[in-house]
Amino acid sequence: MGRRRTLRMVGLALAVAMVAAACGGGNDNGSSTATTTGGTAQKGGVYRTAISSFGFTQGFDPTAEYLGLAFNFYGALTRNLVSYKHVAGAEGNKLYPDLAQSLDGVVSDDGLTYTFKLKQGIKFGPPVDRAITSKDIEYAFERLNIATLGAGYGTYYYESIKGMDGTAKEAKPISGIETPDDQTIVFHLKQKTSDFLYRLSMAATAPIPSEVAKCFNSKIGGYGRYVISSGPYMLQGSEKLDISSCGAMKPISGYDPTKKMVMVRNPNYDQATDDLRGNYVDGIDIQVDSNVDDIFNKVLQGTLDGSLYEPPPATIVRQYITDPAKKQYLHSNSGDRTWFVFMNLGTPPFDDIHVRKAANFVMNKAGILRAWGGTTFGQIATHVMPPSVINDTLGQDFDPYKSPDFAGDEAKAKEEMKQSKYDSNKDGVCDAKECSGLIMVNRNTPPWTNAEPVVVDSLAKIGIKVKPRELADHYTAVQTVKNQIPIGMDTGWGKDYADPGTFGAPLFGGPNIVPTNNSNYGLIGLTPEKQKELGIKVPPGTTFPSVDADLAKCNQISVEEQSEQRTACFVDLDKKIMTEVVPWVPFLWAQNVTTTAPSVTKYEFDQFSGYISLTQIAVNNKETVSS
Amino acid sequence: MSTPALEEIPEQPQAVSTEIQGRTNWELFRSRFVKDKAAMTGAVILVVLVLLALTAPLFAKVMDHGPNQLFPEMVTEDLGLPKGPNAEFWFGGDQVGRDVFIRTLYGARTSLIVALVATGLATLIGVTLGLAGGFRGGAVDTVVSRFVDIVLAMPVILFAIGIAGVCSITSEGCLGGLLQPGFSLVIGIIALFTWPNIARIVRGQVLSLREREFIEASRSLGARPSRIMFRELLPNLVAPIVVYTTLMIPNNILFEAALSYLGVGVPQSTPSWGRMLADATAGSLFTFAWWMMLFPGIFLILAVVSFNLVGDGLRDALGPSER
Repeated sequence: MGRRRTLRMVGLALAVAMVAAACGGGNDNGSSTATTTGGTAQKGGVYRTAISSFGFTQGFDPTAEYLGLAFNFYGALTRNLVSYKHVAGAEGNKLYPDLAQSLDGVVSDDGLTYTFKLKQGIKFGPPVDRAITSKDIEYAFERLNIATLGAGYGTYYYESIKGMDGTAKEAKPISGIETPDDQTIVFHLKQKTSDFLYRLSMAATAPIPSEVAKCFNSKIGGYGRYVISSGPYMLQGSEKLDISSCGAMKPISGYDPTKKMVMVRNPNYDQATDDLRGNYVDGIDIQVDSNVDDIFNKVLQGTLDGSLYEPPPATIVRQYITDPAKKQYLHSNSGDRTWFVFMNLGTPPFDDIHVRKAANFVMNKAGILRAWGGTTFGQIATHVMPPSVINDTLGQDFDPYKSPDFAGDEAKAKEEMKQSKYDSNKDGVCDAKECSGLIMVNRNTPPWTNAEPVVVDSLAKIGIKVKPRELADHYTAVQTVKNQIPIGMDTGWGKDYADPGTFGAPLFGGPNIVPTNNSNYGLIGLTPEKQKELGIKVPPGTTFPSVDADLAKCNQISVEEQSEQRTACFVDLDKKIMTEVVPWVPFLWAQNVTTTAPSVTKYEFDQFSGYISLTQIAVNNKETVSS
Repeated sequence: MSTPALEEIPEQPQAVSTEIQGRTNWELFRSRFVKDKAAMTGAVILVVLVLLALTAPLFAKVMDHGPNQLFPEMVTEDLGLPKGPNAEFWFGGDQVGRDVFIRTLYGARTSLIVALVATGLATLIGVTLGLAGGFRGGAVDTVVSRFVDIVLAMPVILFAIGIAGVCSITSEGCLGGLLQPGFSLVIGIIALFTWPNIARIVRGQVLSLREREFIEASRSLGARPSRIMFRELLPNLVAPIVVYTTLMIPNNILFEAALSYLGVGVPQSTPSWGRMLADATAGSLFTFAWWMMLFPGIFLILAVVSFNLVGDGLRDALGPSER
């Protein structure tokens, strides 16, 4: 048993290594310093890293958590019905069965029923220590359905699964989810949902043991310090958790939000049931270090094995780029993310499309890229969706607001501005009072603070005078519709999963406008009824273009059968948004940059979450973590 | 008989006044101050700084470099790192390609304006309340003293960050537009946290002065309390107030620099030495771009030291009357 298992693991390791090497370098769009993934894998060692602060949106409770980094951790701690190989590039965005035995024949002909059979021999980690059943997966959805607990992306399930609407007061069985036996789970859908499998890959749908989680169903984020493993790793100290009663439970020692997160191998995990993850490292040690420069210096010295989350400052990048021996340890992978300036169609002067188009013409995107740190960190964005999310079918070749060297075209911008009602003397510069004193929300950290003068300067050329406000809590400011923030440069959007649809409804759908946590910053598709509901006042006669019909059309095309057609539909929508709606000035398709020490013998990037792949990297240090 | 030839009686010296010419307080003070080398050095540096601050726009015009103008040629193409001092940019460029020399000069304006206005405001509030509390005593004094204690107990930086955050969201800011991110907010915060110190000093001085005979005399002549406070007490308080205020200014310069360093001071578009130092330390940029830290740092030190020297000189020159 031991020898066979070892051989199997070596075979698996070789297979994964070959796959990783084959798709290495796939997503280095526009990066001159990109290094490929790949390398030699040996088991053992601990990946030691640090982060300035975790910044979880909902306390690391998988039912509610929405931070992309958290998905990276859940990829090591939990397993889903379907999941990813946690590698880079297009291969890393493909769905494979994880807890499900297979994806063949899972969908009924009418697309309304999904039936999964679970693999045998998969158990929860300590202290729960029992086999995972279909009921545990259903429990995850019961938690999702509780009004106070649901994930930021809860609508993915409320709109698709029968019996779910996000208003439950407590965990109750869902009428649309059947569990005829421990190994079978059936989903009944309200309507055909073409990307349903992708929705099942999200962290909130991983199995949750009710005997532990039931104690945390009244307050959002409570379960975050008690996450029980269903995957290859668990939080250190899990076995010491006393689950005899709700009162007896104390937070698992391995995760302290202000100090550290340490993961160790889950003793109940059976690698034989998992061909998606390599699981080479024995442990992952993440310390909180508020000094970002210190983190990168430690990686250079080798006391840390690699960075995790923050982009390296330019002075650090320079050290890697200018030293041929170090260059290979600077990794730049596609972040599947767009950074943009948003304009609120409900606040003048951005209610006028000519002003929005002029802003696109005048923006000095080359200056912004320089402020961001150069091409290591991405390429200039010319439309909404990053090329890697739409299978590279549309890149910088589509630029409706072309300017020489992306530095902004003041002449064309002024031509556009002349057509605006806010330019009374038709000189191409806004002179109405609505064009000055505009609050522009920004983050208070570099590179956003460095890009700020470039944006301010560009807008000033067409007479738009903004008052930048650097805020720590910028998201609350711009996502609360009542604030009616006219313009912001703090915003970005990354894919939830590898489907262009995730760049659709949440950003541009009329029904998706919500009073708080709103991502439809431009208020596209706002109706007068919704206006009343939200309690905001807009100048009379303001029209809000809507793309709801286009979104519905594209969302009908299923991912499984016609992914090319689906992508093409969303590409057309992207073009329409950039030419007829123009709510944004997109400026960067970001790369995520990680540095590693030579101790990382095999580097891999998890395309799904957008960070280093904890379940595929290998280190050759001799560190250990106590279990 | 002839009178003996007397020697020429030496002319009695003219009635040169045998009194020692009394000098006025002002002349005493001036001669003492001028003799104090350290104080004079401070004063000279101060004058230079003020001149530079006043002529900053002139420099900007002549060199054709605005304080917020972006110069892409001062930033490297590949990584966006700043370039160092050269013939055209005397102090080099910063991380977005602005002229560090011009910004340093404009930073002097920011520091001086904020420090002087905030200190002036704090002095106004502190002297009024200290005078009232010290002279009136009783309930007034209790209220003022408790007020002082409360403000001194507040955690300054946390409060400043909190206030700045709250007043940033809407375009009007706080207090109906009175407190907006920028000069008004920074001056407000600094004045709010520094008036108690001067209030205490003034109150202490008043407590000792009010028992003096000239106050008693005034009172017995039927003077109203406000007349006593402003016509009798205040002139005697001028010396300590002037000294203390002058010494408060460098503290407030550093206070503004600290707030700007933390990002809750004046916005980026208003050059501030504190903010420039923050930009230099972000991402350890100064390990590469030493000029971003050196020049604002030197100017900040010079401003603080010069005010301190002048303040010390004032205290020494005003002599015992200040005590």
